[in-house]
Amino acid sequence: MTDRFSQASGTSAVGGVERRSTRSWSGVAWPTLGVGAILALVPLWLGDSRVMMGIAVLGLAFAAYTIAFNLIFGSTGQLFLCVGALAGIGGYGGAILADVVGLPIVVSIALSTSAAALAGGLLSWVAVRRSLGVIFTGIVTLIFALTFENLLLGLGELTGGESGFLMEAGRGTFLRSQIPPYYLMLGMVLLTLFVYGSLRRSRFGWAFRALRDDEVAAELAGIDVARYRIFAATIGAAILGLAGALLAFTEGRVSPTTFGFAEVDVVVLVMLAFGGIGSFLGPILGALTFTVIDELLVEVGQLRVFIYGALVIALFLWLPRGVVPALDDLLRRRRAGS
Amino acid sequence: MAILDLEGIEKRFGGLKVIDGVTLEVDDGEILAVVGPNGAGKSTILKLIVGLEQPTRGSIRFQGRDITHLPTHRVRHLGIAMVEQTPRPFPTMTVLENVAVGALFGSPDTRTGEEAALAAGEEMLAFVGLADRRDDHIDNLNLHEQRFLELARALAGRPRLLLLDEVMAGLNESELRSSIDLVRTIRDELGITVIWIEHVMGAVVELAERVVVLDFGRIIADGTPHTVMRDPHVIEAYLGAAEGIVDA
Repeated sequence: MTDRFSQASGTSAVGGVERRSTRSWSGVAWPTLGVGAILALVPLWLGDSRVMMGIAVLGLAFAAYTIAFNLIFGSTGQLFLCVGALAGIGGYGGAILADVVGLPIVVSIALSTSAAALAGGLLSWVAVRRSLGVIFTGIVTLIFALTFENLLLGLGELTGGESGFLMEAGRGTFLRSQIPPYYLMLGMVLLTLFVYGSLRRSRFGWAFRALRDDEVAAELAGIDVARYRIFAATIGAAILGLAGALLAFTEGRVSPTTFGFAEVDVVVLVMLAFGGIGSFLGPILGALTFTVIDELLVEVGQLRVFIYGALVIALFLWLPRGVVPALDDLLRRRRAGS
Repeated sequence: MAILDLEGIEKRFGGLKVIDGVTLEVDDGEILAVVGPNGAGKSTILKLIVGLEQPTRGSIRFQGRDITHLPTHRVRHLGIAMVEQTPRPFPTMTVLENVAVGALFGSPDTRTGEEAALAAGEEMLAFVGLADRRDDHIDNLNLHEQRFLELARALAGRPRLLLLDEVMAGLNESELRSSIDLVRTIRDELGITVIWIEHVMGAVVELAERVVVLDFGRIIADGTPHTVMRDPHVIEAYLGAAEGIVDA
């Protein structure tokens, strides 16, 4: 190798890495803080209503789900149709460990989050090992989700079957009060957003983009595609487990519908498609928008599902890439034009 | 000294034997052309070397180390890069970013930062003559430029061995000229060994020091371009093309 090349890249490596890392910190931290500042005001507006605060907490849980799903599907192309089930491992796991086994709440949450991460990592490992494509990964994870739902019904004595169960743990603490759970959930969402944003701006982000563009070319360029996939699935599943567990402890009850396929996975898919697959702020925007729309549509009763469907169709026709990428393009074109 | 050693390589797809006992030593620093009729198994050999396919039998050693069953990214980290016949650029990235990926991940050194990778990418773009296209989107590059982009990405990881799969097919006269010069520079200035599959016989005779002819998955001739092109087995394999080859 000639000296030309080694010198050129050698010198820039020293100063360059540091400069870059400070830039990535502010690039992720400011949007995260911005989102946090806006969402922190919500209780001022809805704080009087216990029902509305419950919906707000649920909306934040869905924001975390959507970010996690975006990390797994948007970044590494693994169609995980078991978002609800992985969150359910966190939720039911935490509830059972705290209520039935009697572990402290924090320990229960940590253990059930780890269990969800392990399950997600294993599913990804199977998909990678068997080189399952997008569709087959979707089928395998869907079967996992349906198995999980049936397990909840089958283990009725432990899980409360179809109606779920009310939790003793956490009763009378701030977890069941009106406003603090919202801030707990918000903290978790912001942490999630920050982790996701930082990953995007690191080596991981480069690897994610490359492997999503062309798997074989990525391998040829030296990227361990399998390792990045399993990593993304494990981190994503940990976020799902944590969000599910926190949701369980703040609601004080778990039920199969809290983590059902129709109630979680379908909604998360729509939220992500709306916000923009693969974008940084798209998932959280999609989750919050659809939480609001969903609430507004309660008044129209049966028509709700119809309007929901019409919105989704309109979305795929006019904004196939989602709102955030479309806005991005628009801004860039404006700037280029001026 | 041999940098690459193929021993008794056999590859079957179902009942079809695509590679039928290939043994080949590639010397450090040589430009080796692999030629042969369509379906002779040329591309398969390259895919076996980089681990995109697994041989049914036989072993592959690189710099004395067994790489037969290593995954593709590990082979790249050890210093073997490949440019495929059909370019596979990353469509959502700019030209420079495409090359930077090779610098970021192409070596086992995981400490390479983004700035360093982009700097290395610019060096390589300048080397292949695409420096002024760095911010272009890959849709704006023609086939020839896309292949040079792939070449830059392959070189960005500083490989010891470069595998080229028919990168000169479909080029016009001046593009062919610059491609031949570039491959020679890669070997002469960067000291990279080149294994190169080619159909363009004029280029083979001009550039290669050694030619291996493959037919039905077997090596039927191995030597300098001129001796190989006069080999009766080779002429037979190419049938009507025989005269054209000798003239070249």
